[in-house]
Amino acid sequence: MKFVAFLLALPLCAQTALQILPPQAELRAVEAKQQFLAESQQGGFHNDATSKVTWTSSNPAVAKVDAAGLVTPVSDGDAVITATIGQAKATANVKVAGLKQPFNWSFRNHVVPVMTKTGCNQGACHGALAGKNGFKLTLRGYDPDVDYDTLTRQSLGRRVSLADPPASLLLQKASFGIPHGGGLRFKKDSLEYRVVQEWIAAGAPAPASTDAEVIGLESFPKQATLKPGDEQSLIVRARYSDGRVEDVTRWVKFSSNNEGVALVDDYGKVKVTGHGEAAISLWYSSRIIYSRITAPFSNQVSDADYRKFTPRNFIDEHVARKLRGLNLAPSAPATDTAFIRRAYLDAAGVLPSAEEVEQFLADQSPDKRAKLVDRILEKDEYVDYWAYKWSDLMLVSSRRLGPNVMWSFYNWIHDSVAANKPWDQFARDIFTSSGSTRSNGALNYFFLHKDPIDLTENATQAFLGQRLTCARCHNHPMEKWTQKQYYQMVNLFARVGIKSNSTDPNDVMVFAKTSGDVNHPRLLRPLPPTPLDGQPMSLDSTEDRRKHFAAWLTSPKNPYFARNIVNRVWANFMGRGLVDPVDDVREANASSNEELFKALIDDFIAHKFDVKHLARTIMNSSAYQLSSEANATNQSDNIYYSKYIIKRLPGEVILDAMSQVTGVPTAFPNYPAGTRALQLPDVQVKSEFLTAFGRPNRVICDMSERSSDPSIAQALHVINGDTLNKKLSAAEGAVALFLKLGLSDSRILDHMFLSAYSRFPTDAEKQSSLKALAEARNVNGTADAQKEARRQALEDLLWVLLTSKEFLFNS
Amino acid sequence: MFRFDADRSVEFCDGFRRRDFLHAGSLAALGLGMPAFLGLKAQGAVDKSKDNNCIMMMLVGGPSQLDTWDMKPNAPLEIRGPYKPIKTNVSGIEISENFPRMAKHADKYAIVRSMYHTAAAVHDTGHQMMQTGRLFQGGVEHPHIGCVLAKMKGSKGDVPPHVLLPRPIGATGGNMPHGQSAGYLGKTFDPFTLNADPSDPNFRVPDMLPPDYLTALRVDRRRNWREMVDRSVSKFETSQDARLLDSTFHQAYTLMSSEKARQAFELHREPEKIREKYGMNRFGQSCLLARRLVEAGVRFVTINMFETVFDEITWDIHGSKPFSPISCYKDLVGPMFDMAYSSLLEELQERGLLQNTMVVGFGEFGRTPKVNPAGGRDHWPQCWSILMAGGGVKGGQAVGSSDEIGAAPKDRPTTPAEVAATIYHTLGIDLETELPGAQGRPIPIVDRGVGPIRELFA
Repeated sequence: MKFVAFLLALPLCAQTALQILPPQAELRAVEAKQQFLAESQQGGFHNDATSKVTWTSSNPAVAKVDAAGLVTPVSDGDAVITATIGQAKATANVKVAGLKQPFNWSFRNHVVPVMTKTGCNQGACHGALAGKNGFKLTLRGYDPDVDYDTLTRQSLGRRVSLADPPASLLLQKASFGIPHGGGLRFKKDSLEYRVVQEWIAAGAPAPASTDAEVIGLESFPKQATLKPGDEQSLIVRARYSDGRVEDVTRWVKFSSNNEGVALVDDYGKVKVTGHGEAAISLWYSSRIIYSRITAPFSNQVSDADYRKFTPRNFIDEHVARKLRGLNLAPSAPATDTAFIRRAYLDAAGVLPSAEEVEQFLADQSPDKRAKLVDRILEKDEYVDYWAYKWSDLMLVSSRRLGPNVMWSFYNWIHDSVAANKPWDQFARDIFTSSGSTRSNGALNYFFLHKDPIDLTENATQAFLGQRLTCARCHNHPMEKWTQKQYYQMVNLFARVGIKSNSTDPNDVMVFAKTSGDVNHPRLLRPLPPTPLDGQPMSLDSTEDRRKHFAAWLTSPKNPYFARNIVNRVWANFMGRGLVDPVDDVREANASSNEELFKALIDDFIAHKFDVKHLARTIMNSSAYQLSSEANATNQSDNIYYSKYIIKRLPGEVILDAMSQVTGVPTAFPNYPAGTRALQLPDVQVKSEFLTAFGRPNRVICDMSERSSDPSIAQALHVINGDTLNKKLSAAEGAVALFLKLGLSDSRILDHMFLSAYSRFPTDAEKQSSLKALAEARNVNGTADAQKEARRQALEDLLWVLLTSKEFLFNS
Repeated sequence: MFRFDADRSVEFCDGFRRRDFLHAGSLAALGLGMPAFLGLKAQGAVDKSKDNNCIMMMLVGGPSQLDTWDMKPNAPLEIRGPYKPIKTNVSGIEISENFPRMAKHADKYAIVRSMYHTAAAVHDTGHQMMQTGRLFQGGVEHPHIGCVLAKMKGSKGDVPPHVLLPRPIGATGGNMPHGQSAGYLGKTFDPFTLNADPSDPNFRVPDMLPPDYLTALRVDRRRNWREMVDRSVSKFETSQDARLLDSTFHQAYTLMSSEKARQAFELHREPEKIREKYGMNRFGQSCLLARRLVEAGVRFVTINMFETVFDEITWDIHGSKPFSPISCYKDLVGPMFDMAYSSLLEELQERGLLQNTMVVGFGEFGRTPKVNPAGGRDHWPQCWSILMAGGGVKGGQAVGSSDEIGAAPKDRPTTPAEVAATIYHTLGIDLETELPGAQGRPIPIVDRGVGPIRELFA
């Protein structure tokens, strides 16, 4: 009820009062500025009225405001800025202080941002690993001390000329006073030019360790609902360690993650281009935040459409809020038959048997879906399915592991899933153990990744969804990680010892050494072991460094650890991660519903990293239980969960399902009869079917190893290959059994549909199938010939079911 | 029991004899862009007189300009590197000693020595730009040039319009798309990907024909029944993957029913001598297969020389593990390319195909002019060299040049977008063409104002 009340409380038609953003400002230096926005809302839409209102200051002797809403300080004191349009008025307080103190542009907080914004220190220019034409800046200014040295001390001081500031190469080149390969970066009459020139004229003061540092960013507006064609300016303010809050919009790097919805220019002006949602990333001083632009689809959606979507848990509240904001109506609830098939496949990778479907359909209890979910989550097949999934992640394979240790690695994963081991415990067990890889399977992780570099990259990819590789040789060009952070992290793995066992080369001892370091390749010395943005440990400490890493990794405060696994589990059920691709949860990759994502993460941590609890929560939500059939509003939506996203089944699941429906198991060489594909510990087992349908190699930790795209090779294999064709014609197969039991065509059809689609055939399907079967068996000849014709026709019909979209996809 | 083979006259159980029984409707059903083709032709976006093909070689890893086709013998040792230039059959053009056979064919290709791009110096960005003409930004995935061609011209005969050999590019470190799909055009226009190694002694496209135990009648019946059953469920209409599944079945049936299409993939039909001439390796045999495919009517073939840069010997010569050493240009990668590229140009010319088949070969960037401490060279998108031949390109010339150390273009700086425009131009696709992106937003195939590299056709 609370939820419905919330929805009704949303202002749908009311025009809200005019408002100024940000609501107040403090200007603490001559050069400080604050851009204000005048905003109103109508019919749920934002309206940027900044250029339409009249701006006035109550005290122009303290603060001036221009026609565009830009406030500049004049003298210390207080002023009230007013925006007026017609009858509407809004005010914001401005405090001006410290103007009498001398002002100098700061290298760290002004000159470097100028170089970043104008592109000088970007990867394609002087920020390149090798610099450009002998002039090299640190990438996007991550190390102001080094840049200061480069600018003032190298090249005979010609880059920065204290005696004659305008003669400085820095200014001449950037303003194209003399030829510059990088072209014109800023004009002579620009603010950028003035910042650099005045900084030089003031004696080019060096960055100091006491300089205020950015501790956070805020954006205005944080979210705006707009229509295609609308424009909206964005304001970004930085909070500094000295308490100062400053408008830094002019130095921010803006970009849109969805240009089909919104474009943004270099000054933070957004232009809406289509319907949907775009995250505008605001990048300043190695920090990134987002403003979200929502352009609701022009659909006719009524409250009744949302009332049909019964919220069952917090997931639904967040999904509904998002759908409402975008004018997307949720699809109808899935039928019982669709639900049981979907739930079995997503949670356990198997089809329900015909009998299980019939029992479920006959069950009249109102909570039968929740009970079904509980039953599935306790099945052995649930354990096999997730053990397979985590084996993909852990790269279990006989490619490099001998059979014994491969099994011990796999069994450790399987046992962990069976015990529903909390995810943090799963990770800790790997990173804090020592001993034999044969008796403790988790330790094979250190056999597969022997090198500290490999360990660093794999651990961050598998458990944090971060790709660090770029930072191995230089600062990450698309992320905030520096090469220094990379090698601090690598040093955490410098003391993993591996000792071979003379009797079994595959069974090795893993132990923590008390000495050994990895040098930073250019500093040529080891750096204090530090997990990415965590706390360093002393180089002298003899504590097992992996323990320090594990504590940081699995801490509830680690922003990536829970985010990574929650996204993977969510995507398994919902068809698409809240961030996509599913294994890329870096900050610069915005999620499609951050409030929902955060709620899921909080719930997951509150439940002590319980993966099964997470799966149950998702499966019991109405969002998971929506039909995959689109309605008039959500045909193109594959992002906001307004319908169940149709997904092709993994190759292993298809193969097992074909075995299940035909009653003929797949034979895998050297594995006991009846072993299912999802029970294989290894991806090296020969199988043409699995190769065609996209089995991962388990060589690198990358979701793109598993392809689920349909291909011509797959079609050819099911049409002509032996795998399916031999199952259909097998003497002990389903068709042979139907015939032996003397079932009628009608009964056989029911059974085939129930076992392949988890539903009965519709009347139309039944009529046309019966007719087709009757025609096919109507051949001249002996009774035997007719029997044979019927058998072939039934096989062909079953082939049809098993190669259809309804079978190959989870819908 | 009748052996299934559509190109022979086959007797059916009903007593009739038919040819190509699967053909009825199969071309229309394949439907790869045919409506788009007809519509676009009516608008004049497709130049029918230019029915040219293209073979694109992605030299994954990024060849060093200084050790291949833009030598700087007069630069200091740490710049010019370990290799010497050799003369070619065109006076004034010299290339690295690692490519002795290419030196005899310099009259057939042009070298563009002034390529550069300004995006991040990671492999993935270059892959995107070289194959689509654009850097992916703002969530828009642009289509590969061959996929645009597939959409606009459809297939020629029974073979797919665009084939990718042997496998898609995998991980190269950036976790970004590589520009080898149809992107916003939708998966229906993705290339037909071989996913097999043509140098494998047992290489064949698996399961091209039904097994002995399945009669033609039953294969046909299954197909008809399947379409009947599949049509009855509406919920799949909005799924890209489901539509792709339909198109893969149609294409599979088309391949099965056409002997000519099947034979195009049967490399074992080539004399052993020819196969060896290309080199008995993945890249060499892919180049030979590309020639066969073009002969059979494939319009565009993309060949990935390598699939990754990790733990494999490639053009990516950082000099340290898991990447490759500079010496591999002499020992492995250079000879591999030299043999395959030269043989392909030779054969295309002998068969009169070079005139209407453009052959482009390029990496995603160049390499640092200065040899690094590991004896290798790192990524350098600021300047590199590419190869263009066929389809009307005037061979025996170098277009553009680099500075004295190969660090930056000296004249005629050339961008990936211009290369894309050059290929489109050769394929007879109007550069003003706009394609429907997300929500129908029209996206021009190349950025406004970008034109082909005219010097190539002078």
